[in-house]
Amino acid sequence: MDRIRGFLRRPRRPDANIARLRRRRQAAAYIHRNLTKLTTALFVIGYAWMLLIPIPMLSQGTYIDENALQPAQVNTYWNWGDVHTADLQLYQLDGIQERNLTSEQRAEFFRTEFSKLGLAASIQNYTFSTSKGIVSGNNAYAVMSSPRAAGTEAIVISASWLSRAGCGTLNLRGTSTVLSLAAFLKDYSLWAKDIIFIISDDYLHGMHAWLNAYHGTIPSNLRTDPLEHTSGVIWTALNIDYSSHSFSHLGVFHEGLNGRLPNQDLINSFRLISHYTGGVPMTVYDHLEYSDSVDRLPEQSLFPPWVPPFIQQSPQLQQYGYRVRNVVRHIGYQARGMCSGVHGLMHQFRIDAITLFAVPADGPHGFHALGRIVESTLRTMNNLLERLHASFFFYILTSPGTFMKIGMFLPSTILVSVAMLFKGLGEWVTAGWVWEISEASLKGNETEKSSPAKGTWRNRRRPMLSALIVVVTTHVLGVLVFNLVCSRWFAEYPSFLAPVIFTTVSVIPPVLLPLLSTNASEAAPTSMLLKSSNLCLASTVISITSLLNFSLAAMLVTTMGIPLATSCTSSSTTTSRLRYAGYCVLAWGWLVLVPGEVESAIWNWEVLGVWFAPFICIVYAPLVMQAAIVCL
Amino acid sequence: MRRASVWIFLAYLCTPSFALYRKEIYKEDLRIQSLRDGQVSTTFSFVTVLEGAGPRNPKALGQRDESQHYALFPLTLGQILREYAITELHLTLNAGKWNYDNWGHPHEAGVGTGAELWAWMGASEVTTVDERWSGLRNALSGLFCASLGSLDSRRTLSPTVAFPLSGSTPTFSPHELRHASLPSENVCTENLTPFLKLLPCKSHAGLATLLNPQKVFDADWHGMGVHVIWKEDTGIELKLSLQTVFNPVRTSAGKRRDWNLQSLFDRSIERSCPVASSSSITVILPEGKDHKITPENPSYMDGLAIYDLSSSSNFTIPSNIAMYWPSEHSFQYRKSLSVPLPPLTPITPLSVKRTIHGTTQTRGVLSVSVTNNSPQEISVGYLEMMPALITMWMHTLKVEINSQIRSDLLSELKYHPPSPQSNDRFSPSMLQAVLTIPPKTTLKISMEVNKAFLKYTEHPPDAMRGWDLPGAVFFPLSQLSHNTSSSYDWERIYTPTLLVDLPTPDFSMPYNVIILSCTLMTLIFGSIFNLLTRKWVVMEIQE
Repeated sequence: MDRIRGFLRRPRRPDANIARLRRRRQAAAYIHRNLTKLTTALFVIGYAWMLLIPIPMLSQGTYIDENALQPAQVNTYWNWGDVHTADLQLYQLDGIQERNLTSEQRAEFFRTEFSKLGLAASIQNYTFSTSKGIVSGNNAYAVMSSPRAAGTEAIVISASWLSRAGCGTLNLRGTSTVLSLAAFLKDYSLWAKDIIFIISDDYLHGMHAWLNAYHGTIPSNLRTDPLEHTSGVIWTALNIDYSSHSFSHLGVFHEGLNGRLPNQDLINSFRLISHYTGGVPMTVYDHLEYSDSVDRLPEQSLFPPWVPPFIQQSPQLQQYGYRVRNVVRHIGYQARGMCSGVHGLMHQFRIDAITLFAVPADGPHGFHALGRIVESTLRTMNNLLERLHASFFFYILTSPGTFMKIGMFLPSTILVSVAMLFKGLGEWVTAGWVWEISEASLKGNETEKSSPAKGTWRNRRRPMLSALIVVVTTHVLGVLVFNLVCSRWFAEYPSFLAPVIFTTVSVIPPVLLPLLSTNASEAAPTSMLLKSSNLCLASTVISITSLLNFSLAAMLVTTMGIPLATSCTSSSTTTSRLRYAGYCVLAWGWLVLVPGEVESAIWNWEVLGVWFAPFICIVYAPLVMQAAIVCL
Repeated sequence: MRRASVWIFLAYLCTPSFALYRKEIYKEDLRIQSLRDGQVSTTFSFVTVLEGAGPRNPKALGQRDESQHYALFPLTLGQILREYAITELHLTLNAGKWNYDNWGHPHEAGVGTGAELWAWMGASEVTTVDERWSGLRNALSGLFCASLGSLDSRRTLSPTVAFPLSGSTPTFSPHELRHASLPSENVCTENLTPFLKLLPCKSHAGLATLLNPQKVFDADWHGMGVHVIWKEDTGIELKLSLQTVFNPVRTSAGKRRDWNLQSLFDRSIERSCPVASSSSITVILPEGKDHKITPENPSYMDGLAIYDLSSSSNFTIPSNIAMYWPSEHSFQYRKSLSVPLPPLTPITPLSVKRTIHGTTQTRGVLSVSVTNNSPQEISVGYLEMMPALITMWMHTLKVEINSQIRSDLLSELKYHPPSPQSNDRFSPSMLQAVLTIPPKTTLKISMEVNKAFLKYTEHPPDAMRGWDLPGAVFFPLSQLSHNTSSSYDWERIYTPTLLVDLPTPDFSMPYNVIILSCTLMTLIFGSIFNLLTRKWVVMEIQE
């Protein structure tokens, strides 16, 4: 021990310490000299990594983590008699569709059907008030109290009246599956958890109202009565979406509000059950693998038609293309905080839920396969002794059987954000120094023009006040724009107000900027300091977001990474004005260019509480505007 | 000499039996009732009366007890009662939640989910009540194979108003109540076997023959109870009860509600229990005339069909008792064909719902809604026994009717906050109040609660399941104060149990190991390395 201590404490020569300090300074100087190379390398690696996310090598096979689940290990009892019940229900629902019943009458019908089975059934009326007006509807639901169960836990099976297929398609078969399952499931004594059947009105807001009423978290813009029947804590839920005549695959939709995902065990168990119990292949979303879709959906090919066929038919590229579509769709849902189906509303209440989407086809599967799969999946959920917690909550499903762990995709955005941080810190250091050519040397060397001008690096002040004022002002402007966009006026005249807002927010900074006192000549220019703070802020935002919602971070990296890092003033006024205009379009252009997205984002914020709209207005757009102001 | 010794021996044999001779009476009864949702409730009660006996005086606990000789009374239970000087004992083990709205009040009031144990004991200096309570729990948990041992001080309370002495009050010392419940207890066949062993005929003869575990535990609800009561004029009464709610609609092929003993229990009574002084099956006949019952010659009296099975009666044991609805093809839950169907009205005058709202793991809102379905005003006692995991905030207590605050309807509020025990644990908190519910209205009580942040060692192995909270209890006030509503007779209403999520760390193994080992490595390595090597000096560097 003494020897070790002696070795560690051995007297160093003072030179050694000085050498060490010198070495450190040299290293810092080296990094500063090669900062451009370093950041470029980080940018390139980060962006390349993002492109490589869909390659099969970065994914790994899915597996079941929770031992209690035991998927596809049971005999199912759903038989053709139950299919007949479902067909009869469908016949009745067709009648409802033809008679064009109102929402109340429909809910009343469902309640009657549930009551005939002896279940505790009821209706929930709800009204949402939004800037676009009032949305109301009626949900029907029933609670099956399981034999001998204390009723402390529950499973939800739901179907929304409208299908996710869009265009007002009715989810008639999904609804009749839920009704016939209610009749079927109550004949068995093996359920250990209560089962709640819900037929929610419309597509999303019906279920949202029901869930909020169930959990007693009623937002201020929702009016509804407390639920008449309740059960225990809901752990898992299945949402059934079956609108077409028959189906070939069962697609799983899993993204929830604000980028939440269900536990992966649920999807993996469903995949095994679907394959082994029902004989139905599972897909991610409604994307069919190339081998499945070769004769059916040629338009889904990744490549334009002029690409030679040997490239088009390369299996590796096809596989890559298939995964690209899955990942892009995932990022599309998650980045915007949208849920990909009714199930997504449940994740905020700690309910692991997925939507089963029957991918429309001419065959071969129908109620028989679906009923068996749902029955077996419910049995698997019924086995749970605890909440699903073992498997992953952060993942990207690249294909039905493969996924990426967070460690395989997170570094891509982190690398870019590190590059931005380095760039910002570099700018900060640069702003602190000025190359001063001493007058004496200037005079002395007038004759020798060829020799480089001698000068010294001089420290200069970096007053942050003006830059901070700009930062705060842009964010305050963002808050104002957000309030305006959510107001009733915007909902009424979007096509008029959007260009007005866009022009106003683009014109205000150049008008206000001259009012700002410019830094004294011996201090660092405001634009440098603003760029430095802007880059550091953006980098922090990206790295924090990447942990919470990778897709949003990836979107920020693609839109802000290079533009923020390359913002700079130009000597010519035209160039700088053009640059400024470009940044303005990047920051606020969505107001004019994608009105549909704006409308849905506002609706999502007002009704479902998705943070995407405020985030874009208050965080993203101001950051880009700061880069725009740097250019002025 | 030899003859004399034989006489002495005989005298010795006879003396204690004469001295301690007590009459023991054993009665058994089965009540069967068809419920309105097609289910069939059966209630077995096996009553043994030890005439003239009394509970042991706890002050004599240090002395030698009189010897115990029983003919019918179970010795194992008798020994426990004497050892811990229990005056009154109630133990119930139930599975499922009793549906008061459809099934009405149960014949045996104790239907709270899981295990519930309460006992009245006389106070004594020899052994304290708490020591005896602990011994009683452990003894009963051994006897019934149930986890009653975990009903420790974290779950024990003394709610004397809601759980009064059912029998007489002994005069030898002041009496204390200990009550505890364990909602997460799973009741199954390992509890039934020791239960049957307490019966004089076991399950070989008499009504207990019917108790087929395969059928009993397939019922929608089942529960067993052990009740020991002392009545001054009769003696110690031991009542073993077993209730089940069968669902013939679920188990029969044609979805009919017809039942017979064979279909319910898959067994039949071959012979009656010879020691039973009375043994009967009582069928409570449903309203209406469309049902038939076989055999048809029982003694009918106001809606009851009574079959006497005791060996003394000359009535032959019917091989099977059946009730059927000949005109009904399959059971219709709702007779009315009008669309929309009117909602079903509950049978009981009171219906209660209780939930914990809130999605966060740190706080929530406990809300209880009590509906008075009768046309008269009802006053009930409301008792909440909450483990210390949950802190109820009394200042947030709100009593509402149709979103209007009606604090006047809640009176006699008593609240005991969780108190620290000697072993660093907290006793449950107790909230007791009297509610007055106007006719045909729903009263809503809500209060905010905080969920405890536990040490990681205090979490159970299945930490992600959450914690079960016992149900609230509603009890009738003493007869003096509620003359208006004494038209019906009920003991207690239990609400279903609740599950709450407390803040739970991620117990998954790899994550734990990585986080813990990394933190330790960094802390230890970093600080020790620095301590060993770092020395602060001022250096001057010439450029």
